[in-house]
Amino acid sequence: MKKLATMRQILVVTDGCSNTGISPIAAAALAREQGITVNVIGVIDRDQMEAQGEREIRELAQAGGGLSDIVYASQLAQTVQMLTRKAMTKTIQHVVNQELKEILGNSDIEGLPPEKRMQVAGMMDDLGERSNLDVVMLVDTSGSMKPKLFAVQQAIHDCSVSLRSRSGKSRMAVCSFPGKYSHMEVRIPWTDQVEKVYQLTDGLTMSGITPTGPAIVEAMALFEQNELPSGLPDEYGSRGPNDDEGLLRDHVF
Amino acid sequence: MRACCVTMSSNLGHPFVPREFRGKWNRSAYCIQGELGRGANGRVFLAHSAGKKVAVKVGSEAFDILMEVNMLKNVKPLSGMPIGPRLYEVDDIVVQGKPLTFYAMEYVEGEMLDVFVERAGRDWIPILMIQLLSRLHILHIQGWVFGDVKPENVMISGKDRQMRLIDFGGVSKIGHAVRQFTEEYDRGAWKAGDRRAEPGYDLFAVAVLMVRLAIGKEAWRRISQQERNTQTLCDIIRSDSNLYPFRQPLIHALCGKQASAQAMKNEMVAALQGRTENRPKGKRQDTLGTWIGGMFVASLLLSAGLLYLAWM
Repeated sequence: MKKLATMRQILVVTDGCSNTGISPIAAAALAREQGITVNVIGVIDRDQMEAQGEREIRELAQAGGGLSDIVYASQLAQTVQMLTRKAMTKTIQHVVNQELKEILGNSDIEGLPPEKRMQVAGMMDDLGERSNLDVVMLVDTSGSMKPKLFAVQQAIHDCSVSLRSRSGKSRMAVCSFPGKYSHMEVRIPWTDQVEKVYQLTDGLTMSGITPTGPAIVEAMALFEQNELPSGLPDEYGSRGPNDDEGLLRDHVF
Repeated sequence: MRACCVTMSSNLGHPFVPREFRGKWNRSAYCIQGELGRGANGRVFLAHSAGKKVAVKVGSEAFDILMEVNMLKNVKPLSGMPIGPRLYEVDDIVVQGKPLTFYAMEYVEGEMLDVFVERAGRDWIPILMIQLLSRLHILHIQGWVFGDVKPENVMISGKDRQMRLIDFGGVSKIGHAVRQFTEEYDRGAWKAGDRRAEPGYDLFAVAVLMVRLAIGKEAWRRISQQERNTQTLCDIIRSDSNLYPFRQPLIHALCGKQASAQAMKNEMVAALQGRTENRPKGKRQDTLGTWIGGMFVASLLLSAGLLYLAWM
């Protein structure tokens, strides 16, 4: 079985609806087009999330080829871990299913007897463990999210622990939206280990707007940085998304 | 809150299963009698099939169910000691035209670990932990860790007081990431290490489990709502009269000091017999070995002393 390319995921953590800029569902569809899976976690307090917010979260993940869940802040860390893992399996299943279809003709994995499927599952599990994974965590830091940011911060550390326990190479970056100067701001650039002392709440922009769609589009640029040839100077490679915001807008809008 | 007790709680959904069905491939007939429980990956039912009681697990994600079956098959009993339920078959149920993967396994009749302890008494705790460590050791030497050690996944059979591990969703290959875990017993969540599958991961969970069983459900609930820090656990171990005699194996496990489940088991047995094992045994060691052993003991004593000072 050939090795999978690095898997790329954006994980949106939010508590409500986007209210400015491009539709987040369109943005997620665009990300998926670029081979980036978009997962979404809705964080709620005690109350249920409004139906509109719930629908947006579900549709966003569907358009982004990923998974969604709506949980209490206390469940956030474990949900991040689970969703990331399940979304990876889903991506691998998709690829393996495509290959199987080529071999088996019309039938897919469900057409195989259980014994054979167990072998395929074992192989997919192994692929998931060994493949490289890049995750951008995109955190909604608009007003209503404030009380939940401590839980988000813990989830970030927790995610970092899970990622470095894998056999494959993993990296994560953390961004918050809205940002100071643009729709989103890189809080932690690509890293394989988040510092324990990291404070998400430091220097946060107070704002009522929730630009989920534009933030997803800007987060996609982080993956592009990846593909720079290694020969380029560091300062070029690590250029923040704020710098090439203009460039990005030209491309996307 | 209920949700915090469930492995990786999720709204991803539990499938509907008809009361009577026949497997798509093997054509075995099943008649569901009731639900036994819900795991992270699906629901477990008690069913009648071919005149006997069986447990049937059905999940919405075929992949997760198939991986559990892989793990059940991978783990072999050693010297006649069964670790998990015996696997009967894997098949699909066709519900509304869509296949749902399930597997049938031996129905392990008994009580969950915490229920058993509440009924039979806390005297049982160290013995149960020793039983658990024996089973984990067999898993470990075959290259696997259990991953999701918690009271809900350990059954004590009614008849012969034997222990079985149920729910193999967390079983992971040593060196890989742990596939499934519960935060309350997870080394990562307690900020005491990562989630790479190695014997120490399970041993950490065993130590937390022992604390949980010794202090009871209510006290544990209060603790698990605080921020997780192994110092909290160490404080409980020092102050609880049931746990204090076992402080050495427990604190070693929390700090990842034991090389194997066997090592932790030996320390537990020694503590149970009322002697502390801080001296290497056996006369066949050469002088270098003895010297290293001596240094090890000295460093242990030193660190124990430092710990003691730190606690004061």
